[in-house]
Parts: sequence; structure tokens; C-alpha cells
Amino acid sequence: MAATVANKCLSPLAFLIRRLSAPEFITQCCYHEKVVDHYENPRNVGSLDKRSKNVGTGLVGAPACGDVMKLQIEVDDQGKIVDARFKTFGCGSAIASSSLATEWVKGKSVDEALMIKNTDIAKELSLPPVKLHCSMLAEDAIKAALADYRLKQQDDQQEAVRASK
Amino acid sequence: MNPRAPGKDTVLIYYTNQVKSLVCYSTSQVKLNCWNCKQPLLDKPPFFCMSCKVVQPPEEGTCYFKIMDCDYTFTLDTHKLQQRYLQLQRSLHPDNFSQKSVKEQEYSESQSALVNKAYNTLLKPLSRGLYMLRLEGMHIEEGTESGADSEFLFELLAINEALDEAWTPEEANKIGRDTKEKLAELTKHIDAALCKGELQAAKALLVQMKYYANIEEKVKEKLSRFM
Repeated sequence: MAATVANKCLSPLAFLIRRLSAPEFITQCCYHEKVVDHYENPRNVGSLDKRSKNVGTGLVGAPACGDVMKLQIEVDDQGKIVDARFKTFGCGSAIASSSLATEWVKGKSVDEALMIKNTDIAKELSLPPVKLHCSMLAEDAIKAALADYRLKQQDDQQEAVRASK
Repeated sequence: MNPRAPGKDTVLIYYTNQVKSLVCYSTSQVKLNCWNCKQPLLDKPPFFCMSCKVVQPPEEGTCYFKIMDCDYTFTLDTHKLQQRYLQLQRSLHPDNFSQKSVKEQEYSESQSALVNKAYNTLLKPLSRGLYMLRLEGMHIEEGTESGADSEFLFELLAINEALDEAWTPEEANKIGRDTKEKLAELTKHIDAALCKGELQAAKALLVQMKYYANIEEKVKEKLSRFM
């Protein structure tokens, strides 16, 4: 799946490369090598069991560009994020942002993961201003996944309380 | 006296279809004259001077519907649009002006580019709808959508995944057909919303259309790879 997504994203790039003889295109349009790396070799593509109570699922969309991003986290009993997966249907920057986001949340606690900011993602990938919304989408996907996980844990606790009564 | 205080002079504005359509037709009240022979320009919008037959510069902010001589409606006649496009480009294309003055060449270039832009914007329902929203002062923000629309997003994710995993042209075609149906349905709803002046509803539907239009593009790409 990653390959097809990457392919889609590279096709506009191929078009750009043909036009790169004009120097201004290099600074304006070309993807940074880190972005290219992430969509040629996306990390942690896939799905986790969304019914599992240790898994939080975040699903977000960008109305302006029609991108869809799913990010999932798996949390162990100590509250540490042990696994993360993503599936993104969108542009190269959105794929790179979510790929990087899954790398960064792994090994963090839920609270630490909440601290990840879109500006950090954008900086790491050297995203141009017109692509900043892709990193925002990734931040929102992390937040949504963490919120889903917390909701599940709360429900679980309430059930346990009810059962003990 | 507070000029803002409502009083006898308050003008009531009724938002009906009639008023809405003024968005597109009220822009040019100013009488224009030909830059070459100074005669008044009668056509609206004026591409050529009736007297000296010289090409005119494009008028800033002319509504695309007006340029393409189409009714201000979401369900515009695309056949008529195409006819008009060909007709305009036959007379405005820069190739016709290679023997003319630099000024005329310049004007034909900008007129021809504007006609291209107007045509491409009005041709597809999605860009047409977004353009109509923009004329009403609305646009789709670069935000994130989640929570409230999670059911819709899950549906989209499922379609995207199915398309990704499609191994035969038949499977991809099936998704393409379903998407076309969905887009046709959305077109109907958007038209109804715009006719009633329900801009927020039209905006929400256009957002959905954007997601489905993306899927339609991906289907085409996938099918081309099977060739």
C-alpha cells in the first residue's frame, strides 16, 4: 500500500523534476530529502486491532485537500506506547508527517506523546509553508488516537467499578 | 446621530435566488471605452471593440459565469460551456495575433488565459461549487476534521483501502462506478442547497465531494496502471 501511495506522490514530483532547470523551483516546490525518504520507505504502515482496549485509533481528514489519515497506538500496562501504525491517503508531506509521527510516539508515555507539536514535525521534515497543514493533520491524528485510548480506558474502569458493585 | 442605528433608512435585504444571482451580474456598472478608438464598448464583457475590431484588455474581477456566458447555476450546461470556450478561443488565441501590435498580443494572451481559467473552473462540479462559494465570500479552511464526522471518515478509509487492495481492473472499476454514483448524488444535493441559499450545507457537501473526487482520481490512476 505504501508503494502505491508513494507512487501517487512521486508523479507530481517527476513533473517538477522536468522543470527544475528554473532555479526558483528548487526552493519553492521540491520535497526535502527527508520527506522523500519517508514516503519511499514509510515506517510503521499498517493497522492495529481497533477493538483492542490497549489500542487507540485516530482518524482525521483535511477538508481542503481531501486527505485521510489514520494513526493507531498500542499502550502497555505501564502506560507506555509500545507500537504505532498509520495509513495515510494523501500527498507526500502528509505521508511523511504521519510516518514520522509513528516513529516519535513509540516509547513515549501518553502524556509525553501529547507534547508532540506540528511545528516540530514540520521542522524535522523542512516542510514549506503551503504544506504545514499536513503536519497539523499528523498532530491531530496523534491527539485523536490518544483521546480514543483514554476513552477506552475510562470505559474499562467504569465497567470494572460496575462489576465490583 | 448614530449612523449605525436602525431607523427609517434601514434597507431590508431579502436573500432570494434573485439577489444571489446579482453576485455575478452587478460588478461592471462602469462604462468602458476602447483603448484604441475610444468608442464605448457595448459587449459585456467586452472582448473586442465593435467599431475598430481591436482586442480589449480583460476586465479585472469579471465573473467566470459572465465570461463563459452561462447561467449562474450549479447545474450549468457543460455542452454550452464547451461551445462557448471553443468559440472564444478561436477569436482570442494569441496565435491569431502574431502579426498584430505588441499591445494586442499582450491583451489576447491575458484574455485567452482568463478564458482558460474560467472554463476549467466551471467545467468540474467541485471547482464550480467552490468558486460559487467563494463569490458568496466563503471558502474551505485548511483545518482538520475529526470526531463529528468519524463515520464518514471511516467510510472513506474503507474505500481507499479497498482500492489499494484491488488486484483486478474489475474491482477498481466497481469502486469507480460507486464513486461516480456518490458524486452524482452529491451534485444533486449541492444544487438543492445552493438554490435554497443554504451556504453552510453546500459547503459541507462540497467538502465531501472533495474526498470523493480524490478517490475518483486514484481509481483512474490505478486503472491506467493495469493497462
